[in-house]
Amino acid sequence: MNAMKRIYQLAILGVLALTFTSCTKEWLERTPKNIILEEQVWNDPKQITGLLANYYDRLPKDMGLNDPDHTSIDVNQERQAQWRRMADYDDAMWSGSTNEDARNNIVNYPFDRWRIWNYSLVRDINLALENIETYGVSLSAEQKAQFRAELRFLRAYNYFELVKRMGGVPLITTQLNYDYNGDPSYLQTPRAKEAEVYDFIASEVDAIKDQLGNDGSQTRANKYTALALKSRAMLYAGSLAKYNNAMGGPITTPGGEVGIPADRANGYFEQSLAASQEIINSGAYTLYQNNSNLGENFYEAVTTKAGNTEVIFAQDFLAPKKRHGFAYDNIPRSIREDNLSSSNIAPSLNLVERYEYLDGSSGELNIRTADGSDFIYYDELTDVFDNKDARLYGTVIYPGAPFKGVTLGMQAGVKVWDASSNSYRTVEGADLGATWGGDNYPDGDGGLLTYAGGPHRSIMEVTNTGFYLRKYVDSGAGTSTRGIGSDVWWVWFRLGEIYLNATEAALELGRDADAAGYLSTLRERAGFGENSVTAATITMERVRNERRVELAFEDHRVWDLKRWRIAHEVWNGNSNSPDAVVYALYPYRVVRPGDAARDGKYVFVKMVAPRFRAPRFFQMGNYYSSIDQSVINNNPKIVRNPFH
Amino acid sequence: MRMVMLLCMMVLGGYGLSGAHLQEIVVSGTVTDEQGEPIAGASISLKGNDRVTTTNESGTYSIRLPNGNGTLVFTYIGYGTQELAVAGRNTIDVQLEATNEALSEVVVVGYGTQTKASITGAVSTIGSEDLVRTPAVAATSALVGKVPGVTARATDSRPGNGANIQIRNLGNPLYVIDGVPYSTNDQTTAFGFNSGVSGQNVFNNLGLEDIESITVLKDASASVYGLRASNGVVLITTKKGRKGEHTSINVTGYYGMQNFTRFPRPANAGQYIRGLLESEQNFGNDPSLLYSPDQLAKWEAGTEKGYKSYDYFDEVMRPNVPQYYLSANASGGSERSNYYISLSHVNQDAIIKDFSFDRTNLQANINGNLAKGLTVGTQISARVEKRHNVGVPGLDDYFNPLLSVFSMWPTESPYANDNPNYINQTHNVNVNPATYKDDVTGWVDEWWRAMNVNLSAEYDFNFGLKAKGLYSYNFTNEDFDGFEYTYDAYLYDEETDTYYTQPGFGNQNPWREKHKRNVVSRFAQFQLSYDKQIGLHSISAVAAFERSDTENSYNAIHTVPSNNYVPIMSFAEQDYLADEWSIEARAGYIGRINYNFAQKYLLEVLGRYDGSYLYAPENRWGFFPGVSVGWRLSEEAFIKDRVGGWLNDFKLRASYGETGSEIGIGAFAYLAGYTYAGGNVNDGRSAVLDGAFYNGLRPRGIPITGLSWVTNRTQNVGFDFTVFSKLSGQFDLFERRRTGLPAARYDVLLPSEVGYTLPNENLNSDATRGVDGMVTWQDQVGNVRYSLGVNATLARLRSLSTYKPRFGNSYDQYRNSIEDRWTGVNNQGLATGVNWGYQVIGQFQSQEEIDSYTINVDGQGNRTLLPGDLKYKDVNGDGIINNLDETPIGYAEGAQPYFNYGINGSVSWKGITLTLDMVGAGMQTYFRDWELKYPFQNNGNLLRNVAEDHWHRVDPYDPNSQWVAGTYPALRKDLNSHVNYRRSDFWVTNVRYLRLKNLELAYNFPRTLIERVGISGLRVFANGTNLFSFDNVKGFEIDPEISSTNGLVYPQQKLYTFGFNLSL
Repeated sequence: MNAMKRIYQLAILGVLALTFTSCTKEWLERTPKNIILEEQVWNDPKQITGLLANYYDRLPKDMGLNDPDHTSIDVNQERQAQWRRMADYDDAMWSGSTNEDARNNIVNYPFDRWRIWNYSLVRDINLALENIETYGVSLSAEQKAQFRAELRFLRAYNYFELVKRMGGVPLITTQLNYDYNGDPSYLQTPRAKEAEVYDFIASEVDAIKDQLGNDGSQTRANKYTALALKSRAMLYAGSLAKYNNAMGGPITTPGGEVGIPADRANGYFEQSLAASQEIINSGAYTLYQNNSNLGENFYEAVTTKAGNTEVIFAQDFLAPKKRHGFAYDNIPRSIREDNLSSSNIAPSLNLVERYEYLDGSSGELNIRTADGSDFIYYDELTDVFDNKDARLYGTVIYPGAPFKGVTLGMQAGVKVWDASSNSYRTVEGADLGATWGGDNYPDGDGGLLTYAGGPHRSIMEVTNTGFYLRKYVDSGAGTSTRGIGSDVWWVWFRLGEIYLNATEAALELGRDADAAGYLSTLRERAGFGENSVTAATITMERVRNERRVELAFEDHRVWDLKRWRIAHEVWNGNSNSPDAVVYALYPYRVVRPGDAARDGKYVFVKMVAPRFRAPRFFQMGNYYSSIDQSVINNNPKIVRNPFH
Repeated sequence: MRMVMLLCMMVLGGYGLSGAHLQEIVVSGTVTDEQGEPIAGASISLKGNDRVTTTNESGTYSIRLPNGNGTLVFTYIGYGTQELAVAGRNTIDVQLEATNEALSEVVVVGYGTQTKASITGAVSTIGSEDLVRTPAVAATSALVGKVPGVTARATDSRPGNGANIQIRNLGNPLYVIDGVPYSTNDQTTAFGFNSGVSGQNVFNNLGLEDIESITVLKDASASVYGLRASNGVVLITTKKGRKGEHTSINVTGYYGMQNFTRFPRPANAGQYIRGLLESEQNFGNDPSLLYSPDQLAKWEAGTEKGYKSYDYFDEVMRPNVPQYYLSANASGGSERSNYYISLSHVNQDAIIKDFSFDRTNLQANINGNLAKGLTVGTQISARVEKRHNVGVPGLDDYFNPLLSVFSMWPTESPYANDNPNYINQTHNVNVNPATYKDDVTGWVDEWWRAMNVNLSAEYDFNFGLKAKGLYSYNFTNEDFDGFEYTYDAYLYDEETDTYYTQPGFGNQNPWREKHKRNVVSRFAQFQLSYDKQIGLHSISAVAAFERSDTENSYNAIHTVPSNNYVPIMSFAEQDYLADEWSIEARAGYIGRINYNFAQKYLLEVLGRYDGSYLYAPENRWGFFPGVSVGWRLSEEAFIKDRVGGWLNDFKLRASYGETGSEIGIGAFAYLAGYTYAGGNVNDGRSAVLDGAFYNGLRPRGIPITGLSWVTNRTQNVGFDFTVFSKLSGQFDLFERRRTGLPAARYDVLLPSEVGYTLPNENLNSDATRGVDGMVTWQDQVGNVRYSLGVNATLARLRSLSTYKPRFGNSYDQYRNSIEDRWTGVNNQGLATGVNWGYQVIGQFQSQEEIDSYTINVDGQGNRTLLPGDLKYKDVNGDGIINNLDETPIGYAEGAQPYFNYGINGSVSWKGITLTLDMVGAGMQTYFRDWELKYPFQNNGNLLRNVAEDHWHRVDPYDPNSQWVAGTYPALRKDLNSHVNYRRSDFWVTNVRYLRLKNLELAYNFPRTLIERVGISGLRVFANGTNLFSFDNVKGFEIDPEISSTNGLVYPQQKLYTFGFNLSL
């Protein structure tokens, strides 16, 4: 027994000793499964591409096709891009869930609205530029040079996004390391002049364009991507130099952080034009002209990837690995394939009327007789849109237009003639797809009351303006379901814009014939005749309208209005303004038995979109976004933007 | 630490062996209690002499006396003192009678047990019988209102869910079950299921009948659990058989019926139509475009065909839904072994059809003596938990059915033409309750299968020293299997009497997903304990080492199936894959010494050296000491002499302890490099380049190496008392001060342009302060025994100091400072809620009043206002209402109530017992939003109480008709940005409630009656849970404990149960 006891005791003490001496240090030292080290990254081109993928995906934009992964506004905010912002200007409004009706009630744009200060991306790129040298031992010099050029493109692109929102920003091109000695003031860099940032972008493009490689790539930067950046950035710089100084009171700061001297305008326009010409003349890209239906062709020019030689640079998606719900959220209500969402972005009548008739006349729709005494009665819904710029069809789904092989009827209600009062009684009803008849409307004729896709004044997820979006909405089967989703790409640069950049720069430089030539080429694709614009007829007004209609929903309008310094005039907060207010067009079926010329025809009513609440209001303080107070606290050398 | 303790043992042990004298007689014997159980630690002294000894583990003693005369005095805490003359005897066995059972009660504390009398910490306990009184599915619910210091809020009571409980509002506590601590990481996935195995999960899913006792460590007594004990510790002990006891078999069962306590009701069709018309009228539009007066009249009558009103609360919910429970256990023991084995099953159906929860538990606790001094044991607990949901689109299947109540229009039928063969393509078919059936929209089965095995071995060295080893292995598996079907929906064509469907109708978005989660938790402990009674000195010491880890791995695959029939997933249809993994690892050295002198002066010193995987190697380990003292004044002669007649017990306690909290750091934050985005392909930081998908690499940023745990210093003073043997209580005053809360050293102003921020360091501090206590009165009058107890907790977090705060101006400071302020006062830092808002001073009574009102309420010259709209107080008097007029109007939203109390009472007469538990709370804030605030939210219906009571004109078609006053403002559809809906005390309510949690009537059949049929005990009972509540949210038709601002959450149930306990 004693022996047994001794054994137990020894065993227990042995276990005790073992537990106490076993290494607890290792016990707490665990290895993560998803962390890669510098050495592993910088000697493996595939991992470097993975890192570049991360950086490409972090490039800022105002719109885009997906929702942001950052919703809060903070100084390190990187992406605020979201397609929902398409509803925030005057080309469209919000017709989706009523939870976001505030987009129709923007009393004024807050001063921080377009703010970014994403130096975290700048740092990551600067760090990469250094680490590729430090760790990349097995890369060839050529590989290194190409990756370095691509990183510098990404940095230049990001600085362009910064300068167009914030004005001149500190130009940081190396990693800033804090030494933890308690005084980081040596890291403070003042804002560069606005012009200096634009100059930096130009010089970076010049330095890297021939090292970029990636020939033919539409999703990674190559020579022409860089030139496209330069084309756009220099155009912005030129118009800022010109139009800011043309204002009653130019927006400037004493140090030039905001405000580019007027005498630099032409130089920038020259640079822009040269870059545009190099792209156009290279023959590397052509305007998309693959479909004889010009409206469909224009839709394809932006939205279709296959055979697209127009798109220079895009954020691509690939189902099922990377996809978005843009089609789910914006497919017209009556043909939605999922049972939620749809119809969120409803294009405005304002935009629709900017598309000219092919004879060159104003795009205003003819809906009332010349003396205004009566409606104009149309046999078909589409008749009112006949002979319009094909880009209207390619951008917007208007009443009666087809999408995905289905005709979208669109009808808000019926106009019933009341002979006794000599006027129409309007019946709209509370539901979609309703019949004017049955129990609810015993006096009805049994015909259609409200089309299944509206428009409707108050129901959410159905158009409130009478129009649906076509551009960027995937026409593939099932793509508007959450399960399948869409992989349409987001276009950053395409040749169409380069033509417009060339047009505008040439016009600014007084080369009217060149300008008209570029513009006419672009307009031909939309169905206009040859030389539809000439040196005699081209005006800046016209060029600006062309940008609006060609580039609608491609994240240009707000930036264009800003650089032309007319945003505060267009979006003036006035509820009688034709631009600051979003208008709708409601089609009605006429019920007027006995009047064959009118009965059963369609009439159109123009109105302020019923869910639209507050006119757009852009203030002088919106031209440059406010800099977060904490950024200024952190670096007292940062001067504020004007009006803040 | 360890060395010191060993030294102590040796010194004291040596002393214990000395002091033998010759020429004396030896008296020995056994001291037992009324049941004949040995009493260890009873003291035996010779009257008028300093000779003292104590009984050992088996209750035996021996004492040397100078001669055979004299009187021995036998004392033991909680028992009556006996004096016996020796009268030359050599053997004297004594049976002591309990005078105060409470004090002799053995309480489980960290790493051992103590008697209640000798406890020095703030410790609350609750036993089995008080737990099972509540027919709870999850154990946390059974604790509510019964333990001082525990606050509770049941925010989501879907089947299987428990209450959120905290100790003194400190945060999620650490759960230790049978000596094994479990993870404090408690999270819920978007599906509404757990994302891991936390202590709270394990506790919640124990069989309620299997729990022997629960101890709550609230102060320094928790320090023995070190790094994770800062929020208090809940110790759970499961039942064991007793040695030498005959086998007893117990069977318990109940059947109950559930209904919601409260849920808001929707308006009927007439009210809804009228509301829409009013909205048009209020916008200045022509309401007749929507509905003609004739149509309105028909809808309000609701009698004609096509004008029927549907109540979607009734369409979605079912009354009197079953919940039932059956459990059987057997326990007993021989001289060398004991066992407790149980099997139980609980089933809780949801009030929404086809949703359910059930769980089967197995527990087997077996101990055996292998050899003298050596005991081995095992505790095995296993469970199978199943939740069944209807596969409703959207991740959390419970949400849409609740949403339906308000999203569906009362004018539309769930079925086309009311024909149950055709699901109606309603305006939002996604929330049409006709689809909420397994065979229409699909199903989700979620299984949790868990097995926990503890193996222990203990060796008693027979001189007070014991060595014990414990190993625990927990394997938990989650199996999620979900299939959401496509289905068609129809519209009815009256003209042709046909039903038709179209491609966009119904749901054409199939969804198929399987998850698997495996969680392995391991725990190993080695422990030495030493107990010795030397005269009036009583000492016990514990030294232990332990380590634990938890590995959680998760896989999900998802497909877009082509049909509803084949549940086998195919690669061709796969579109998603997730592979996730996480780890936790910890280790610690523990030491504790308890000393008391004559059960009068009590001292406890403890410490723990603890390490966590979260920190960089140089910051991994920390030492957490605690000390507590107690003074049992009632044992002092000078007290006993004066008031001993009625003061049975009075103990003063004070404690100080340190613990750690792992706050503000993620796993591997101390490592640099890049995070590979793999696993979840929708990560969002990846790109498609040249047509190929590239997983992104995310730079990890600056490694966090300087951060360590948050240090908590807990102080507690309190007392326990018993007077007249009837009234007893405890009261504690406490503070937990946290220092080293993570924050960045912001006066080192790193320019934002460097692209990174300084990593957090341990800089800020806060304190949770409060009081808790309880009193219980127990008495017997004739045949009636009764008791009444009240407990209460008041605890609130206050931010003390932040690192060098700085403010731009005094408003900035008023609004944003958290310096020395109760948290929840603003939306920064530590606060858990935003509760600033406007103060409503009334409602506009007329258009004239609006027109002449000088304060600009809406910022637009009051042109958007209508009679009935809210008037806000212009706090700063600048004539315009804007955010500068906001003031604090509530407490932290959704948080635990700062004040919680419970009332527990029972009356019994012969075999009949009536018990009652009431629970109350205050200082808890609820914000009504969304469906509870906006009329026609989400293009849906109105609330019934809004429809019945709001400002409107008499005639919705006549814009000049008279206004009628009401509680709610005039209706405007889809104008959520209206000034009425700003956060104000109109919508924010500081909730107070007192609810009858439990009422139980039970009858114990007399033994004489049932013994004839071979039954040793039979009890039947009827129980009502949540029968009613007094509160200030009744008008909103919500349960006072919910926190979801839209009210669309599964509230607590009003439950009637009938059951029995049978013992064989």
